[in-house]
Amino acid sequence: MVATAVLTNPVELSFGVEPVTPVVDLGVMSTPTPDPRALFEEQAIPFLDQLYGAALRMTRNPSDAQDLVQETFVKAFAAFAQFEQGTNLKAWLYRILTNTFINTYRKKQRDPYQGSTSDMEDWQLGTAESATASLSSRSAEAEAIDHLPDSDVKEALQSIPEDFRLAVYLADVEGFSYQEIADIMKTPVGTVMSRLHRGRRLLRGLLTDYARERGLATASVKGSKK
Amino acid sequence: MTDCGCDKARAELEEYLRNEICRTDASEIRAHLETCEGCQSELHIGIVLTQTVQRACKETAPEELRDQLMARLRGLQVL
Repeated sequence: MVATAVLTNPVELSFGVEPVTPVVDLGVMSTPTPDPRALFEEQAIPFLDQLYGAALRMTRNPSDAQDLVQETFVKAFAAFAQFEQGTNLKAWLYRILTNTFINTYRKKQRDPYQGSTSDMEDWQLGTAESATASLSSRSAEAEAIDHLPDSDVKEALQSIPEDFRLAVYLADVEGFSYQEIADIMKTPVGTVMSRLHRGRRLLRGLLTDYARERGLATASVKGSKK
Repeated sequence: MTDCGCDKARAELEEYLRNEICRTDASEIRAHLETCEGCQSELHIGIVLTQTVQRACKETAPEELRDQLMARLRGLQVL
């Protein structure tokens, strides 16, 4: 909010701010060590929506997601003194979230298909590219994927193996780097890359299928020129 | 599609998309993309896929979760 205000009228603001600056500086300097609770609420709570979104994709149901998020924040609060200010708080919170999920919920939820990805061979994952060789069909594919309802995308995500899903979520939704994902998931960077490649390939195949079922893929061929 | 660099480009398109490759490789792929429509369209699908996932996964925490969490945190001792 503040940032937008500054951007909308920089000139007027710079006039107004100048005489005030020393007072603000003094205020900051005279403040004793900030209250950790206030600091936590100010810094960590803004990530609530994001962490809830991630928890939903992990647990695949709202009630477990809520429990997982609460547990994550309680742990983070208890460990907040160990968080090094100035480092990446979001990544730190995601590490706690992922740990908590793996240690508590994954055990509870385990079913044969979820989690175990190492025994899936590439041929089982299908090859999205071979199905869409021609140029026009590729641009139609992109268009169709773009028009899918959110519910289809979530369903597709839910149905890919957990390790793939997490990697895709952390990279595509949260924008974490390979190294950050490796730290969060406690795996080598190479594993992250392979999970991402395979996860995205699976996802793309599923989304293309959904689009075809919805008649999007064929319908958009004619009108796909942008 | 002859081997005009497509193999390398396809293999690293995702890394390129995420800005996870070194500058030399990136400029090679960029140069290849300029002349190869096939790889361009692959890149485009990659970008659309990311945007679609991002868009679909936007969530807002329920109010009750926020309230419960704040109450719980306020009941905890500061270490």
